[in-house]
Amino acid sequence: MFEPFTDVIPSFFGWLNQGPLTLTIFLHTVIILPMIWIYYQEKKRLENEG
Amino acid sequence: MASNTLNESKQLATWYFTFAFILFGAQLLFGLVAATQFVMPGFLFEILDFSVARTLHINALVVWMVFAMFGSVYWLLPDETGINTIGIKMGKLLYWVFVAAIAVVVLVYIFVQVGPADQTTIWFIMEGREYIEAPRWADIGIVVVALGFVANLFLTGMKGKQTGIVTVLMADMIAFAGLYLAGMFFTDNISVDQYWWWWVIHLWVEATWEVFVGAIAAYGLITMIGAHRKVVEMWLWIEVAMLFGSGILGMGHHYFWIGTPEYWWEIGALFSALEPIPLVAMFVHVLYDWGKTQGAEEEAGNPASVINNKPAFTWFVLNAFGNFLGAGIWGFFHTLPQVNLYTHGTQFTSAHGHLAFFGAYATILIGMMYIAVQGKNNIKVLKNTKSSIWAVSMIAGGVMGMTVALTIAGYVQVLVSRAQMGATWAGYFDGQEGMWFAQGMDWRLIMGLVTFLGFALLAKDLLTTGKNPVHER
Amino acid sequence: MANKSVWSDNRFWQRTATWVTGFAAVLLIWLTFDTSAQISMGTDEDLKQGVTKRVPGPTVINYKIEYLMDAKRGHEVPVIGGKNAEGRSAFQEKEKFFGRDDWTEEEAGALLHLGKLGSQAKNCMNCHTLLGNGAYYAPDLTKAWLDPAWGPEGSLQAMTGKNTKEEAMAEFLQHPSQYPTHERMMPNLGITADEAKGLVAFLKHMSSIDTNGFPRNFGKIQGAVHGK
Repeated sequence: MFEPFTDVIPSFFGWLNQGPLTLTIFLHTVIILPMIWIYYQEKKRLENEG
Repeated sequence: MASNTLNESKQLATWYFTFAFILFGAQLLFGLVAATQFVMPGFLFEILDFSVARTLHINALVVWMVFAMFGSVYWLLPDETGINTIGIKMGKLLYWVFVAAIAVVVLVYIFVQVGPADQTTIWFIMEGREYIEAPRWADIGIVVVALGFVANLFLTGMKGKQTGIVTVLMADMIAFAGLYLAGMFFTDNISVDQYWWWWVIHLWVEATWEVFVGAIAAYGLITMIGAHRKVVEMWLWIEVAMLFGSGILGMGHHYFWIGTPEYWWEIGALFSALEPIPLVAMFVHVLYDWGKTQGAEEEAGNPASVINNKPAFTWFVLNAFGNFLGAGIWGFFHTLPQVNLYTHGTQFTSAHGHLAFFGAYATILIGMMYIAVQGKNNIKVLKNTKSSIWAVSMIAGGVMGMTVALTIAGYVQVLVSRAQMGATWAGYFDGQEGMWFAQGMDWRLIMGLVTFLGFALLAKDLLTTGKNPVHER
Repeated sequence: MANKSVWSDNRFWQRTATWVTGFAAVLLIWLTFDTSAQISMGTDEDLKQGVTKRVPGPTVINYKIEYLMDAKRGHEVPVIGGKNAEGRSAFQEKEKFFGRDDWTEEEAGALLHLGKLGSQAKNCMNCHTLLGNGAYYAPDLTKAWLDPAWGPEGSLQAMTGKNTKEEAMAEFLQHPSQYPTHERMMPNLGITADEAKGLVAFLKHMSSIDTNGFPRNFGKIQGAVHGK
């Protein structure tokens, strides 16, 4: 599943990009996870306001 | 009567719209020249070559849209903030600076065309980078004008009521103006050159301009059908999250083949693949709000249409759908690297470009022009006329026709020039001589003419609205 | 109103929009630093030391350039100065460019500079595509240097009556409408002999850029079935 590094110059992002969609799934996850935290924070606020 | 009392900011907006409309006509005319050259290569050869016609075609496009965007902001600012636009005198002065600069640039494009290979050419004739060909002196002028515009927006937005729409516009417009700076330098390294060039082009049309459209659509829904601000602004924030969330890193789809690392394949493919989602959302949002508002009125025993500006609303709905179809679907067609390896740099791109620029931007900006015509003439309900209906049908039909023709031509190029012949000089011309390609180009020209006739009707309709008695005042 | 949903709350979406936009922008800037380092132009020293750069230095014009399939990467890559045992650039085999294969870093750099300026001053990009970007009225120039038609047995070289690829290209660029290759012709853009030399250097340099395999199968397929 994981392939050896193929690109010309090794780099952090190139290293993350070593299998099917590994890099993009990682980036999407990093973007979406904090939204859960924002969600619960806002939920708490709405409850307090209510 | 009405125009005497027109708010100064709105008056300036009408100036912007007027010049935008003239440039829109110029865009179509030079587009027709370029389209004719595909069919008859000898047409204006070494007089007004394809490169010149196309430069004018795409520059007029970008500039008319920028003008109409500035106009739209000047139009909505007093409504949104509840105060007069601050610094309107400077705004008016900058308008004339902008118009004069554009006129000089266009004359140089037409009569000087190219220059010797040195910095003087880059500074005074042509920078030779697609979409931002304007010479460096004009770049600086554009930055000054844009900064003045942003200053007006910020000063007004901070002093007056800062609605969600104004907040989004403020953030968006400063990014929009700032990004232009990324296109103002020269380098010998063409990979670096194109890397930053995309910062301007992509982050304009696939990020900041799209968000701008979201904000304008929100404003339009409130003014035209009386949609609830809270609902509309919630949608706007969702759209901003999705548009910037996908669009900023979606930039990667331009970094597949310009010398940049392979990791951009994944980033570009997957983020840009999400770009259509907010566009679907925007379409749903427009129709949903329309149905909801209309339904509530009918419930209240008021069956009349909630739309107070039929042609503008038509263009807004067309925008919501055209954005999704042109930018979303036609863009997604070739955004994955496996496909793009063969479609990159073919008429496929051109098909997408035509439908996306039209669907995403031209439509909503024409809609804003109708809103301005309505406001300028104190019209309570602006109705469809024969020419407004014919105009929208012929322009939309014409652009769609061009898109289909170019897509078919693009297929030939992909299959013959790219897949079979490996993209050489000979392979390129083999593709160009394909029957489907040649006929595609014929149809593109015909559909371009249809579009131009539609434009003429649109001009007639916009110009005669003020005196037309069918509208309710 | 304790039951009010977060999903219909403006503040939630506003914060989400701010977070997503901010983070995407930061990532893009980070990626830009990473990429900028990778696409900075190499030097003559790199070529002599056999360092593979995505964008080689201007003196790459002294070397032979090919475009060959790389088994490990799964697509074609520019191979500079012949290939070594692994099929990668060996940086050995030279090729004369306008009669010389000892262009110094300054000379080659000046030539490339002139060529890049020329490519913009003559608005090449509004007919041709470069690295696939531009207009679609004329052939893509990304690997034009490697087009067999400009080679020793190629029709374009024969047409100009010149003996080398670079001279043929330079001749064509100076008098394009004298050498029509199609009903659609390149117009005369007032390109001087010096500018033409620079432009050819620019094209040769561009062909050495690692474009991740774009365009595919360039110049490999001879006599394919025409799709007419």
